[in-house]
Amino acid sequence: MKQEQFVALHAEEWDKLGTWLAQLDRQPKLAMGGEHALDFPVAYRRVCHHLSLARARGYSREVTDRLQQIVQMGHRQLYRPPAPRWHKLAMFLVADFPRLVRQQWRYMLVALFLLYAPAVVAYVLILWKPALAHSLFTTRQLADFDKMYDPANSHIGRSSGTDLQMFGYYIMNNVSIAFRTFASGLLFGVGAIYVLAANGVVIGGVAGHLNAIGYGGPFWRFVVGHSGFELTAIVIAGGAGLQFGLSLLAPGRLPRELALRRAAWIGARLAMGAFAMLIAAAFIEAYWSSIASLPDVVKFGSGACIWLLVLWWLMRGGAGSKHAA
Amino acid sequence: MLDTVREIETPEGVSLRLRAAGAFGRAQAWLLDTLLRAVVFFVGLGIFSMLGRGGVGLGLLLLFALTWVYNVVCEVWFHGQTIGKRVLGLRVVNADATPITLLPSVVRNLLRVVDALPGIYGVGLVVSIIDPSARRVGDIVAGTLVIHADELPAGSKVPVAAPQPLPLPLDADEQAALIEFAERSPQLTPQRQEELANILHPLTGREGSAAIAQISAYANGLLGRT
Repeated sequence: MKQEQFVALHAEEWDKLGTWLAQLDRQPKLAMGGEHALDFPVAYRRVCHHLSLARARGYSREVTDRLQQIVQMGHRQLYRPPAPRWHKLAMFLVADFPRLVRQQWRYMLVALFLLYAPAVVAYVLILWKPALAHSLFTTRQLADFDKMYDPANSHIGRSSGTDLQMFGYYIMNNVSIAFRTFASGLLFGVGAIYVLAANGVVIGGVAGHLNAIGYGGPFWRFVVGHSGFELTAIVIAGGAGLQFGLSLLAPGRLPRELALRRAAWIGARLAMGAFAMLIAAAFIEAYWSSIASLPDVVKFGSGACIWLLVLWWLMRGGAGSKHAA
Repeated sequence: MLDTVREIETPEGVSLRLRAAGAFGRAQAWLLDTLLRAVVFFVGLGIFSMLGRGGVGLGLLLLFALTWVYNVVCEVWFHGQTIGKRVLGLRVVNADATPITLLPSVVRNLLRVVDALPGIYGVGLVVSIIDPSARRVGDIVAGTLVIHADELPAGSKVPVAAPQPLPLPLDADEQAALIEFAERSPQLTPQRQEELANILHPLTGREGSAAIAQISAYANGLLGRT
Protein backbone atom coordinates (compact mmCIF):
# COMPACT_ATOMS: atom_id res chain seq x y z
CA MET A 1 0.00 0.00 0.00
CA LYS A 2 1.29 3.45 -0.90
CA GLN A 3 1.85 5.97 1.86
CA GLU A 4 -0.84 8.38 0.74
CA GLN A 5 -3.49 5.64 0.67
CA PHE A 6 -2.41 4.48 4.14
CA VAL A 7 -2.75 7.99 5.53
CA ALA A 8 -6.10 8.56 3.84
CA LEU A 9 -7.39 5.28 5.28
CA HIS A 10 -6.34 5.84 8.91
CA ALA A 11 -5.76 9.56 9.47
CA GLU A 12 -9.17 10.09 11.02
CA GLU A 13 -8.51 7.35 13.60
CA TRP A 14 -5.11 8.82 14.49
CA ASP A 15 -6.50 12.32 14.89
CA LYS A 16 -9.27 11.05 17.15
CA LEU A 17 -6.83 9.30 19.48
CA GLY A 18 -4.38 12.20 19.38
CA THR A 19 -7.06 14.74 20.29
CA TRP A 20 -8.36 12.58 23.11
CA LEU A 21 -4.86 12.10 24.55
CA ALA A 22 -4.19 15.84 24.39
CA GLN A 23 -7.48 16.43 26.21
CA LEU A 24 -6.50 13.85 28.83
CA ASP A 25 -3.45 15.93 29.69
CA ARG A 26 -5.45 19.12 30.07
CA GLN A 27 -8.80 17.96 31.49
CA PRO A 28 -8.35 14.40 32.78
CA LYS A 29 -11.83 14.09 34.35
CA LEU A 30 -13.69 15.22 31.23
CA ALA A 31 -11.59 12.99 28.98
CA MET A 32 -12.04 9.91 31.15
CA GLY A 33 -15.81 10.47 31.18
CA GLY A 34 -15.91 10.78 27.40
CA GLU A 35 -17.04 8.06 25.03
CA HIS A 36 -13.50 7.38 23.77
CA ALA A 37 -12.15 6.43 27.20
CA LEU A 38 -13.19 2.79 26.92
CA ASP A 39 -11.79 2.48 23.40
CA PHE A 40 -8.40 3.82 24.41
CA PRO A 41 -6.45 0.55 24.86
CA VAL A 42 -7.76 -0.86 21.59
CA ALA A 43 -7.21 2.37 19.68
CA TYR A 44 -3.73 2.71 21.14
CA ARG A 45 -2.70 -0.80 20.11
CA ARG A 46 -4.01 -0.18 16.60
CA VAL A 47 -1.86 2.93 16.31
CA CYS A 48 1.12 0.93 17.59
CA HIS A 49 0.38 -1.59 14.85
CA HIS A 50 0.20 1.20 12.27
CA LEU A 51 3.53 2.57 13.45
CA SER A 52 5.16 -0.84 13.03
CA LEU A 53 3.65 -1.16 9.56
CA ALA A 54 4.73 2.35 8.58
CA ARG A 55 8.30 1.65 9.67
CA ALA A 56 8.43 -1.76 8.03
CA ARG A 57 7.12 -0.34 4.76
CA GLY A 58 9.60 2.49 4.84
CA TYR A 59 7.03 5.28 4.91
CA SER A 60 8.47 8.72 5.27
CA ARG A 61 9.05 10.67 8.49
CA GLU A 62 5.86 12.59 7.83
CA VAL A 63 3.89 9.51 8.85
CA THR A 64 6.24 7.81 11.29
CA ASP A 65 6.89 10.97 13.31
CA ARG A 66 3.21 11.65 13.55
CA LEU A 67 2.46 8.11 14.74
CA GLN A 68 5.43 8.04 17.08
CA GLN A 69 4.11 11.19 18.76
CA ILE A 70 0.71 9.61 19.37
CA VAL A 71 2.23 6.33 20.59
CA GLN A 72 4.48 8.20 22.99
CA MET A 73 1.53 10.08 24.49
CA GLY A 74 -0.52 6.90 24.71
CA HIS A 75 2.32 4.93 26.27
CA ARG A 76 2.63 7.56 28.97
CA GLN A 77 -1.05 7.26 29.83
CA LEU A 78 -1.45 3.50 29.56
CA TYR A 79 1.57 2.71 31.73
CA ARG A 80 1.19 5.48 34.26
CA PRO A 81 1.60 4.48 37.91
CA PRO A 82 -1.48 3.85 40.04
CA ALA A 83 -2.71 6.78 42.12
CA PRO A 84 -1.07 6.90 45.56
CA ARG A 85 -3.19 5.65 48.44
CA TRP A 86 -3.14 6.59 52.11
CA HIS A 87 -3.58 2.96 52.99
CA LYS A 88 -0.26 2.14 51.35
CA LEU A 89 1.49 4.88 53.31
CA ALA A 90 0.05 3.57 56.57
CA MET A 91 1.07 0.01 55.69
CA PHE A 92 4.57 1.23 54.94
CA LEU A 93 4.95 2.93 58.30
CA VAL A 94 3.33 0.18 60.36
CA ALA A 95 4.73 -2.91 58.68
CA ASP A 96 6.98 -2.53 55.65
CA PHE A 97 9.43 -0.06 57.15
CA PRO A 98 10.17 -2.04 60.35
CA ARG A 99 10.47 -5.18 58.23
CA LEU A 100 12.98 -3.47 55.97
CA VAL A 101 14.99 -2.29 58.98
CA ARG A 102 15.10 -5.83 60.35
CA GLN A 103 16.01 -7.22 56.94
CA GLN A 104 19.02 -4.86 56.85
CA TRP A 105 19.95 -5.55 60.51
CA ARG A 106 23.65 -6.08 59.80
CA TYR A 107 24.06 -2.56 58.44
CA MET A 108 21.92 -1.16 61.25
CA LEU A 109 24.18 -2.82 63.79
CA VAL A 110 27.31 -1.35 62.17
CA ALA A 111 25.69 2.09 61.98
CA LEU A 112 24.65 1.78 65.63
CA PHE A 113 28.23 1.05 66.56
CA LEU A 114 29.59 3.89 64.41
CA LEU A 115 27.29 6.40 66.12
CA TYR A 116 27.41 5.23 69.73
CA ALA A 117 31.05 4.11 70.08
CA PRO A 118 32.49 7.58 69.32
CA ALA A 119 29.73 9.09 71.48
CA VAL A 120 30.63 6.93 74.48
CA VAL A 121 34.35 7.52 74.00
CA ALA A 122 33.89 11.29 73.77
CA TYR A 123 31.54 11.24 76.77
CA VAL A 124 33.92 9.27 78.99
CA LEU A 125 36.98 11.25 77.91
CA ILE A 126 35.38 14.61 78.68
CA LEU A 127 34.04 13.39 82.03
CA TRP A 128 37.58 12.25 82.81
CA LYS A 129 39.26 15.45 81.63
CA PRO A 130 36.68 18.26 81.22
CA ALA A 131 39.29 20.52 79.59
CA LEU A 132 39.16 18.26 76.51
CA ALA A 133 35.81 19.88 75.66
CA HIS A 134 37.76 22.93 74.54
CA SER A 135 39.61 20.96 71.90
CA LEU A 136 36.28 19.68 70.52
CA PHE A 137 34.19 22.86 70.57
CA THR A 138 34.98 26.57 70.35
CA THR A 139 34.50 28.70 73.43
CA ARG A 140 31.50 30.34 71.82
CA GLN A 141 29.80 26.99 71.18
CA LEU A 142 30.45 25.94 74.78
CA ALA A 143 28.94 29.18 76.04
CA ASP A 144 25.87 28.48 73.88
CA PHE A 145 25.50 24.98 75.30
CA ASP A 146 25.84 26.35 78.83
CA LYS A 147 23.11 28.88 78.15
CA MET A 148 20.79 26.32 76.54
CA TYR A 149 20.98 23.88 79.43
CA ASP A 150 21.24 26.35 82.30
CA PRO A 151 19.00 24.91 85.06
CA ALA A 152 17.59 28.42 85.52
CA ASN A 153 16.32 28.49 81.93
CA SER A 154 12.53 28.18 81.54
CA HIS A 155 12.89 26.52 78.12
CA ILE A 156 15.62 23.93 78.12
CA GLY A 157 17.56 23.03 75.03
CA ARG A 158 17.52 26.42 73.37
CA SER A 159 18.99 29.83 74.00
CA SER A 160 16.09 31.67 72.37
CA GLY A 161 13.25 31.11 69.92
CA THR A 162 9.67 29.88 70.02
CA ASP A 163 8.39 26.31 69.73
CA LEU A 164 7.36 26.77 66.09
CA GLN A 165 10.67 28.35 65.16
CA MET A 166 12.58 25.45 66.67
CA PHE A 167 10.26 22.92 65.03
CA GLY A 168 11.09 24.35 61.61
CA TYR A 169 14.75 24.38 62.49
CA TYR A 170 14.77 20.75 63.66
CA ILE A 171 12.97 19.56 60.53
CA MET A 172 15.26 21.42 58.13
CA ASN A 173 18.42 20.50 59.99
CA ASN A 174 17.83 16.91 61.08
CA VAL A 175 16.05 15.65 57.98
CA SER A 176 18.71 17.19 55.76
CA ILE A 177 21.37 15.39 57.80
CA ALA A 178 19.51 12.09 57.45
CA PHE A 179 19.08 12.51 53.68
CA ARG A 180 22.71 13.50 53.21
CA THR A 181 23.85 10.55 55.31
CA PHE A 182 22.04 8.17 52.99
CA ALA A 183 23.02 9.87 49.73
CA SER A 184 26.67 10.37 50.62
CA GLY A 185 26.84 6.63 51.28
CA LEU A 186 27.31 6.39 47.52
CA LEU A 187 30.91 7.54 48.02
CA PHE A 188 31.82 3.98 49.05
CA GLY A 189 30.06 4.49 52.37
CA VAL A 190 32.64 7.04 53.49
CA GLY A 191 30.08 9.86 53.71
CA ALA A 192 27.76 7.81 55.89
CA ILE A 193 30.60 6.69 58.16
CA TYR A 194 31.81 10.26 58.54
CA VAL A 195 28.37 11.69 59.35
CA LEU A 196 27.67 8.94 61.89
CA ALA A 197 31.01 9.23 63.66
CA ALA A 198 31.05 13.04 63.63
CA ASN A 199 27.54 13.20 65.06
CA GLY A 200 28.51 10.59 67.65
CA VAL A 201 31.49 12.65 68.80
CA VAL A 202 29.43 15.86 69.01
CA ILE A 203 26.57 14.23 70.90
CA GLY A 204 28.93 12.46 73.31
CA GLY A 205 31.02 15.59 73.70
CA VAL A 206 28.05 17.81 74.58
CA ALA A 207 26.71 15.24 77.02
CA GLY A 208 30.11 14.86 78.67
CA HIS A 209 30.71 18.58 78.91
CA LEU A 210 27.30 19.37 80.41
CA ASN A 211 27.61 16.54 82.92
CA ALA A 212 31.09 17.67 83.87
CA ILE A 213 29.93 21.21 84.69
CA GLY A 214 26.88 19.98 86.57
CA TYR A 215 24.18 20.75 83.98
CA GLY A 216 23.55 17.05 83.41
CA GLY A 217 20.05 17.22 84.89
CA PRO A 218 18.46 19.60 82.35
CA PHE A 219 20.37 17.95 79.51
CA TRP A 220 19.08 14.45 80.14
CA ARG A 221 15.60 15.79 80.88
CA PHE A 222 15.69 17.50 77.49
CA VAL A 223 17.01 14.72 75.33
CA VAL A 224 15.28 11.71 76.85
CA GLY A 225 11.98 12.48 75.12
CA HIS A 226 12.99 12.81 71.50
CA SER A 227 16.23 10.83 71.42
CA GLY A 228 14.32 7.59 70.86
CA PHE A 229 13.12 8.74 67.47
CA GLU A 230 16.00 11.02 66.58
CA LEU A 231 19.03 8.85 67.29
CA THR A 232 17.36 5.75 65.89
CA ALA A 233 16.44 7.62 62.71
CA ILE A 234 20.06 8.74 62.26
CA VAL A 235 21.23 5.15 62.78
CA ILE A 236 18.74 3.94 60.15
CA ALA A 237 19.76 6.62 57.65
CA GLY A 238 23.40 5.72 58.30
CA GLY A 239 22.67 2.02 57.79
CA ALA A 240 20.89 2.90 54.54
CA GLY A 241 23.98 4.81 53.40
CA LEU A 242 26.29 1.95 54.38
CA GLN A 243 24.40 -0.70 52.43
CA PHE A 244 24.25 1.72 49.49
CA GLY A 245 28.02 2.23 49.52
CA LEU A 246 28.75 -1.46 50.01
CA SER A 247 26.62 -2.38 46.99
CA LEU A 248 29.05 -0.32 44.90
CA LEU A 249 32.12 -1.92 46.51
CA ALA A 250 30.81 -5.48 46.61
CA PRO A 251 27.88 -5.92 44.23
CA GLY A 252 27.92 -9.69 44.68
CA ARG A 253 26.48 -11.63 41.77
CA LEU A 254 24.72 -8.66 40.20
CA PRO A 255 26.14 -6.19 37.71
CA ARG A 256 27.22 -3.06 39.54
CA GLU A 257 24.51 -0.80 38.12
CA LEU A 258 21.74 -3.21 39.05
CA ALA A 259 23.15 -3.83 42.53
CA LEU A 260 23.39 -0.08 43.05
CA ARG A 261 19.81 0.44 41.89
CA ARG A 262 18.46 -2.22 44.25
CA ALA A 263 20.42 -0.80 47.16
CA ALA A 264 19.22 2.70 46.29
CA TRP A 265 15.58 1.63 46.36
CA ILE A 266 16.02 -0.03 49.74
CA GLY A 267 17.94 3.00 50.95
CA ALA A 268 15.35 5.46 49.70
CA ARG A 269 12.60 3.62 51.55
CA LEU A 270 14.69 3.57 54.71
CA ALA A 271 15.36 7.30 54.27
CA MET A 272 11.61 7.93 53.89
CA GLY A 273 10.99 6.04 57.13
CA ALA A 274 13.74 7.99 58.88
CA PHE A 275 12.10 11.16 57.56
CA ALA A 276 8.81 10.19 59.25
CA MET A 277 10.65 9.39 62.48
CA LEU A 278 12.44 12.74 62.44
CA ILE A 279 9.14 14.59 62.01
CA ALA A 280 7.92 12.81 65.17
CA ALA A 281 11.21 13.64 66.90
CA ALA A 282 10.97 17.32 65.90
CA PHE A 283 7.43 17.55 67.31
CA ILE A 284 8.53 16.06 70.61
CA GLU A 285 11.70 18.11 70.73
CA ALA A 286 9.99 21.43 70.04
CA TYR A 287 6.77 21.04 72.00
CA TRP A 288 7.48 18.58 74.80
CA SER A 289 11.19 18.23 75.55
CA SER A 290 11.62 21.95 76.03
CA ILE A 291 9.10 22.24 78.89
CA ALA A 292 11.25 22.68 81.97
CA SER A 293 8.56 22.70 84.65
CA LEU A 294 7.51 19.02 84.48
CA PRO A 295 8.72 16.69 87.26
CA ASP A 296 11.47 14.18 86.54
CA VAL A 297 9.08 11.22 86.79
CA VAL A 298 6.99 12.52 83.88
CA LYS A 299 10.01 13.44 81.77
CA PHE A 300 11.93 10.22 82.20
CA GLY A 301 8.79 8.08 82.26
CA SER A 302 7.57 9.45 78.95
CA GLY A 303 11.07 9.20 77.50
CA ALA A 304 11.32 5.54 78.47
CA CYS A 305 7.87 4.89 76.98
CA ILE A 306 8.92 6.48 73.68
CA TRP A 307 12.13 4.47 73.56
CA LEU A 308 10.20 1.25 74.25
CA LEU A 309 7.63 2.20 71.63
CA VAL A 310 10.30 2.81 68.98
CA LEU A 311 12.11 -0.43 69.78
CA TRP A 312 8.89 -2.45 69.87
CA TRP A 313 7.77 -0.91 66.60
CA LEU A 314 11.04 -1.71 64.83
CA MET A 315 11.35 -5.20 66.34
CA ARG A 316 7.76 -6.36 65.99
CA GLY A 317 6.15 -4.11 63.37
CA GLY A 318 4.78 -6.15 60.47
CA ALA A 319 5.93 -9.42 62.00
CA GLY A 320 3.53 -12.27 61.31
CA SER A 321 1.29 -10.02 59.27
CA LYS A 322 -0.80 -11.59 56.54
CA HIS A 323 0.17 -8.87 54.09
CA ALA A 324 3.78 -10.01 53.86
CA ALA A 325 5.36 -8.24 50.91
CA MET B 1 28.33 10.27 21.24
CA LEU B 2 26.38 12.70 19.11
CA ASP B 3 23.23 10.69 18.63
CA THR B 4 21.11 11.19 21.71
CA VAL B 5 18.11 9.19 20.49
CA ARG B 6 17.38 6.10 22.58
CA GLU B 7 15.14 3.37 21.22
CA ILE B 8 12.89 1.76 23.81
CA GLU B 9 10.75 -1.22 22.92
CA THR B 10 7.25 -1.01 24.34
CA PRO B 11 5.20 -4.07 25.35
CA GLU B 12 3.28 -3.61 22.10
CA GLY B 13 6.46 -4.41 20.19
CA VAL B 14 7.02 -0.99 18.66
CA SER B 15 10.10 1.01 19.44
CA LEU B 16 9.75 4.47 20.90
CA ARG B 17 12.46 6.98 20.10
CA LEU B 18 13.32 9.09 23.13
CA ARG B 19 15.50 12.15 22.68
CA ALA B 20 17.70 12.43 25.76
CA ALA B 21 18.18 15.98 27.01
CA GLY B 22 21.73 17.24 27.34
CA ALA B 23 23.46 18.91 30.26
CA PHE B 24 22.94 22.43 28.94
CA GLY B 25 19.16 22.39 28.71
CA ARG B 26 18.94 20.67 32.06
CA ALA B 27 21.20 23.25 33.66
CA GLN B 28 18.94 25.99 32.30
CA ALA B 29 15.87 24.27 33.76
CA TRP B 30 17.65 23.89 37.10
CA LEU B 31 18.67 27.55 37.11
CA LEU B 32 15.10 28.60 36.41
CA ASP B 33 13.81 26.35 39.20
CA THR B 34 16.42 27.66 41.61
CA LEU B 35 15.58 31.29 40.88
CA LEU B 36 11.88 30.54 41.21
CA ARG B 37 12.40 28.76 44.51
CA ALA B 38 14.54 31.60 45.82
CA VAL B 39 11.77 34.08 44.98
CA VAL B 40 9.10 31.90 46.63
CA PHE B 41 11.29 31.48 49.70
CA PHE B 42 11.95 35.17 50.20
CA VAL B 43 8.34 36.15 49.52
CA GLY B 44 7.22 33.44 51.95
CA LEU B 45 9.72 34.59 54.54
CA GLY B 46 8.46 38.14 54.15
CA ILE B 47 4.88 37.05 54.78
CA PHE B 48 5.75 34.73 57.67
CA SER B 49 7.94 37.28 59.41
CA MET B 50 4.79 39.35 59.96
CA LEU B 51 3.58 36.52 62.20
CA GLY B 52 6.31 37.16 64.73
CA ARG B 53 9.23 34.95 65.69
CA GLY B 54 7.42 31.69 64.99
CA GLY B 55 7.36 32.81 61.37
CA VAL B 56 11.02 31.91 61.05
CA GLY B 57 10.05 28.32 61.79
CA LEU B 58 7.47 28.41 59.00
CA GLY B 59 10.12 29.89 56.74
CA LEU B 60 12.44 27.00 57.53
CA LEU B 61 9.65 24.52 56.82
CA LEU B 62 9.14 26.27 53.47
CA LEU B 63 12.86 26.04 52.77
CA PHE B 64 12.75 22.35 53.58
CA ALA B 65 9.82 21.80 51.22
CA LEU B 66 11.50 23.74 48.42
CA THR B 67 14.81 21.93 48.88
CA TRP B 68 13.69 18.34 49.25
CA VAL B 69 10.00 18.00 48.42
CA TYR B 70 9.42 20.32 45.44
CA ASN B 71 11.23 18.18 42.85
CA VAL B 72 9.65 14.90 43.94
CA VAL B 73 6.11 16.30 44.03
CA CYS B 74 6.51 17.93 40.60
CA GLU B 75 7.96 14.80 39.05
CA VAL B 76 5.47 12.31 40.46
CA TRP B 77 2.26 14.33 40.25
CA PHE B 78 2.88 16.79 37.42
CA HIS B 79 3.93 14.56 34.51
CA GLY B 80 7.63 14.40 35.42
CA GLN B 81 8.12 18.14 35.02
CA THR B 82 9.20 20.79 37.46
CA ILE B 83 8.29 24.31 36.38
CA GLY B 84 11.78 24.85 34.95
CA LYS B 85 11.62 21.59 33.01
CA ARG B 86 8.16 22.49 31.72
CA VAL B 87 9.41 25.79 30.37
CA LEU B 88 12.40 24.11 28.72
CA GLY B 89 10.22 21.28 27.39
CA LEU B 90 11.96 18.53 29.38
CA ARG B 91 10.45 15.56 31.16
CA VAL B 92 11.75 12.93 33.58
CA VAL B 93 10.74 9.38 32.70
CA ASN B 94 11.77 5.91 33.76
CA ALA B 95 14.34 4.30 31.50
CA ASP B 96 11.52 2.27 29.85
CA ALA B 97 9.69 5.52 28.97
CA THR B 98 6.92 4.96 31.52
CA PRO B 99 6.03 7.88 33.80
CA ILE B 100 8.33 8.21 36.80
CA THR B 101 7.09 6.76 40.10
CA LEU B 102 7.74 7.80 43.68
CA LEU B 103 10.80 5.71 44.57
CA PRO B 104 12.92 6.48 41.50
CA SER B 105 12.03 10.14 41.91
CA VAL B 106 13.08 10.09 45.58
CA VAL B 107 16.35 8.36 44.69
CA ARG B 108 17.28 10.72 41.86
CA ASN B 109 16.51 13.78 43.93
CA LEU B 110 18.26 12.60 47.10
CA LEU B 111 21.34 11.84 45.02
CA ARG B 112 21.53 15.50 44.04
CA VAL B 113 23.68 15.59 47.19
CA VAL B 114 26.32 13.58 45.33
CA ASP B 115 25.80 15.21 41.93
CA ALA B 116 26.07 18.69 43.36
CA LEU B 117 29.29 17.84 45.16
CA PRO B 118 32.12 20.20 44.37
CA GLY B 119 30.19 23.45 44.39
CA ILE B 120 27.55 23.59 41.69
CA TYR B 121 26.81 20.20 40.13
CA GLY B 122 30.41 19.36 39.25
CA VAL B 123 29.99 15.60 39.45
CA GLY B 124 26.63 15.80 37.71
CA LEU B 125 28.06 17.82 34.83
CA VAL B 126 31.06 15.54 34.27
CA VAL B 127 28.99 12.34 34.48
CA SER B 128 26.25 13.66 32.19
CA ILE B 129 28.85 14.65 29.60
CA ILE B 130 30.39 11.16 29.70
CA ASP B 131 27.10 9.25 29.74
CA PRO B 132 25.63 8.67 26.25
CA SER B 133 22.13 9.48 27.51
CA ALA B 134 23.37 12.52 29.44
CA ARG B 135 22.28 11.07 32.76
CA ARG B 136 23.71 12.33 36.03
CA VAL B 137 24.60 9.98 38.88
CA GLY B 138 21.10 10.22 40.37
CA ASP B 139 19.53 9.26 37.04
CA ILE B 140 21.86 6.31 36.52
CA VAL B 141 21.18 4.92 39.99
CA ALA B 142 17.44 5.57 39.90
CA GLY B 143 17.09 4.24 36.35
CA THR B 144 15.56 7.44 35.00
CA LEU B 145 16.13 9.63 31.98
CA VAL B 146 15.47 13.28 31.17
CA ILE B 147 14.02 13.61 27.67
CA HIS B 148 12.76 16.33 25.39
CA ALA B 149 9.00 16.28 25.84
CA ASP B 150 8.02 18.82 23.22
CA GLU B 151 6.70 17.49 19.95
CA LEU B 152 9.11 16.47 17.26
CA PRO B 153 9.50 19.13 14.61
CA ALA B 154 6.54 18.39 12.36
CA GLY B 155 7.73 16.09 9.59
CA SER B 156 8.31 18.32 6.60
CA LYS B 157 6.16 17.37 3.67
CA VAL B 158 7.35 16.31 0.27
CA PRO B 159 6.59 19.20 -2.09
CA VAL B 160 3.69 18.28 -4.35
CA ALA B 161 4.67 17.65 -7.96
CA ALA B 162 3.33 15.61 -10.86
CA PRO B 163 4.16 12.02 -9.86
CA GLN B 164 6.23 9.81 -12.13
CA PRO B 165 6.89 6.07 -11.82
CA LEU B 166 10.46 4.88 -11.25
CA PRO B 167 12.24 3.78 -14.43
CA LEU B 168 13.69 0.73 -12.64
CA PRO B 169 12.87 -1.10 -9.38
CA LEU B 170 14.67 0.14 -6.25
CA ASP B 171 15.21 -1.41 -2.79
CA ALA B 172 13.10 -0.21 0.11
CA ASP B 173 15.95 1.78 1.66
CA GLU B 174 16.80 3.34 -1.68
CA GLN B 175 13.18 4.42 -2.04
CA ALA B 176 13.28 5.81 1.48
CA ALA B 177 16.43 7.78 0.59
CA LEU B 178 14.64 9.35 -2.39
CA ILE B 179 11.68 10.37 -0.25
CA GLU B 180 13.93 11.73 2.50
CA PHE B 181 15.81 13.79 -0.04
CA ALA B 182 12.59 15.28 -1.37
CA GLU B 183 11.42 15.95 2.18
CA ARG B 184 14.56 17.62 3.38
CA SER B 185 15.88 19.37 0.30
CA PRO B 186 14.01 22.65 1.11
CA GLN B 187 16.28 22.91 4.17
CA LEU B 188 19.44 22.78 2.01
CA THR B 189 21.05 25.45 -0.15
CA PRO B 190 20.27 25.12 -3.91
CA GLN B 191 23.94 24.34 -4.58
CA ARG B 192 23.94 21.47 -2.10
CA GLN B 193 20.62 20.19 -3.46
CA GLU B 194 22.06 20.07 -6.96
CA GLU B 195 25.28 18.48 -5.75
CA LEU B 196 23.31 15.66 -4.10
CA ALA B 197 20.84 15.28 -6.95
CA ASN B 198 23.70 15.01 -9.48
CA ILE B 199 24.86 11.82 -7.74
CA LEU B 200 21.67 10.20 -9.02
CA HIS B 201 22.47 11.01 -12.62
CA PRO B 202 22.37 7.31 -13.64
CA LEU B 203 18.76 7.16 -12.36
CA THR B 204 17.39 10.53 -13.44
CA GLY B 205 19.52 11.13 -16.50
CA ARG B 206 19.48 14.85 -15.71
CA GLU B 207 21.73 17.44 -14.12
CA GLY B 208 21.18 20.42 -11.85
CA SER B 209 17.69 21.71 -10.97
CA ALA B 210 16.06 19.37 -13.46
CA ALA B 211 17.47 16.42 -11.44
CA ILE B 212 15.95 17.85 -8.26
CA ALA B 213 12.55 18.17 -9.91
CA GLN B 214 12.84 14.65 -11.30
CA ILE B 215 13.61 13.16 -7.87
CA SER B 216 10.69 15.09 -6.40
CA ALA B 217 8.45 13.60 -9.08
CA TYR B 218 9.68 10.08 -8.26
CA ALA B 219 9.11 10.72 -4.56
CA ASN B 220 5.54 11.82 -5.25
CA GLY B 221 5.04 8.66 -7.21
CA LEU B 222 6.46 6.52 -4.40
CA LEU B 223 4.14 8.17 -1.87
CA GLY B 224 1.23 7.19 -4.08
CA ARG B 225 0.09 10.72 -4.96
CA THR B 226 -2.00 11.02 -8.09
